[in-house]
Amino acid sequence: MEALADFALTFVGQLQKPTLAFLLGGMLIAALGSKLVIPDAVYRFIVFMLLMRIGLAGGMEIRNAEPGDIFLPALIAVAVGCLIVILGRAVLPRLPGVKVEDGIATAGLFGAVSASTLAAAMVVLDEEGVVYEAWVPALYPFMDIPALVLAIVFAGIHQQRQSGAHKRVRIWPIVADSLRGSALSALLLGLLLGLFTRPESVFDSFYDPLFKGLLSVLMLIMGIEAYARLAELRRVAHWFALYAFVAPLVHGLLAFGLGTLAHYATGLSPGGVILLAVIASSNSDISGPPTLRAAIPAANPSAYIGSSTSIGTPMAIAVGIPLYLSLGHWVFGL
Amino acid sequence: MTHKATEVTIVAEKVIQEQIVEIIERAGATGYTILEGSGKGQHARRTHERPSVAGDAFDIVKIEAILGDRAAAEQVADEVANTLFTHYSGIVYLEEVEILRRARFWR
Repeated sequence: MEALADFALTFVGQLQKPTLAFLLGGMLIAALGSKLVIPDAVYRFIVFMLLMRIGLAGGMEIRNAEPGDIFLPALIAVAVGCLIVILGRAVLPRLPGVKVEDGIATAGLFGAVSASTLAAAMVVLDEEGVVYEAWVPALYPFMDIPALVLAIVFAGIHQQRQSGAHKRVRIWPIVADSLRGSALSALLLGLLLGLFTRPESVFDSFYDPLFKGLLSVLMLIMGIEAYARLAELRRVAHWFALYAFVAPLVHGLLAFGLGTLAHYATGLSPGGVILLAVIASSNSDISGPPTLRAAIPAANPSAYIGSSTSIGTPMAIAVGIPLYLSLGHWVFGL
Repeated sequence: MTHKATEVTIVAEKVIQEQIVEIIERAGATGYTILEGSGKGQHARRTHERPSVAGDAFDIVKIEAILGDRAAAEQVADEVANTLFTHYSGIVYLEEVEILRRARFWR
C-alpha cells in the first residue's frame, strides 16, 4: 500500500516536470487538432544529439570503469532483450486475430530500445538527484540488437514452416544494418570519441547543457506522434493495444529484478538498475521499425508501429519511469 | 528531333528503394530519378514532412526511369511487381514518352 502511495506521489510529481509535461502537452495539442509540426530534420538532429551525448559520457566514464562491473549488466541487457522477444513470441500469436508475423515483429520492436525513452529517464534521474554509471545508458545496443535479430530469426523459422522451403536467416547483415543505422552510429562514435579522445570541452559546453532542452522538444514530438498514430492502431486487433499497455511494465520489472541482482553481486548503482529497467521497458523508434519492415515483410507495420508509438512509448515514459523510480525508493531506500 | 522511349514509374515503400534501383540498373537504364512524397494508398496515409518517429518505415518514394527499349521497361515492371509487391506496398506503370538526346538513354 505504501509502495502504491509512493508511486502515486512520484507520478503526480513527474507530471509537473518538463519531461512528462511536454509529452502530455504534445498529445493534448494533437488531440485538439493543432497543426504544429516539428520538422523531421530537427527531430533527427535531436536524436543524434542525445545519442552523441550518451555515447560521449559513457565513453569518458568507461576509461575509469572496471570491465568486470560492466560485464554483468551487459549480460543482463542481452538476456532481457532475448526474453522479451521469446515471451512475446509465445504470447502474442495465441491471441485471437493476431497474425504470427505481426506478433513476432511487435515483440521484436518492444524488445528493442528507444533512445528517446532512455534520454527521458536520464533527465528524470538527474532532476531527482539519483546517480548512475554513465556507461549504463550506453549498454542499450546490448538489448536492442539481440532483440531485433531474434525476432527476425523467429520470423524466418515461421516462414520456413509455412512454405517448407529451407532458407537460412543471415544474422550478420541484420547486425551490420543496426550498427550502421543513424542511431547506433551516433552512439558508438560518441563512445569511441569519449574513450580515446578528450572531448570534455565540447561535452561540457555543448552536448551536456543542450541535453535537457532538446529532450523537452523531443517529448513534445513523441506526444504529437503518439496521438497522430492512434488511427493506425485502430485498424489492427485490439490485443495489440492491450499488449502495448502491459508489456512495457512487465519488461521493466523483469529488468529491475535482474538489475537488483547485479546491484548485490557487482555493485551496480540503484540509478543504474532503474535505467536498465527503463531500457527494457522502452520500445524502439527511428531505427527498429525500418529494420523490421525490411526483414519481416509479411508483418503489418500498422500493428507493431501503431502499438509502439501510440501506447508503448507513452506507457514506458509516463508510467514506467515513475514506477521504477518509486521502486528504487522502496528497494534501495533512495 | 524526338525519339520514342518508355518510362517506368514505381511508387513504393522507401524500405525497398535500393532493391528497386538494383532492378532498374540491371535492366540497362542509364539513370533514374527518386522523389520523396506523401499520399494515400490502400494501406495507409503517408506523409514525409512529419517527424519520422518510425524511421522511414512508412515513407514512400516515386522512382522514375526512362528506357530506350520497351522490353527492358516491361522487364523492370514485371520484376518489381512479382518479387517486391508480394509483401511491400506499391504501384508500377509504364508510359510512352518522347525524348531528346537519345544517346543519354542507351548504354
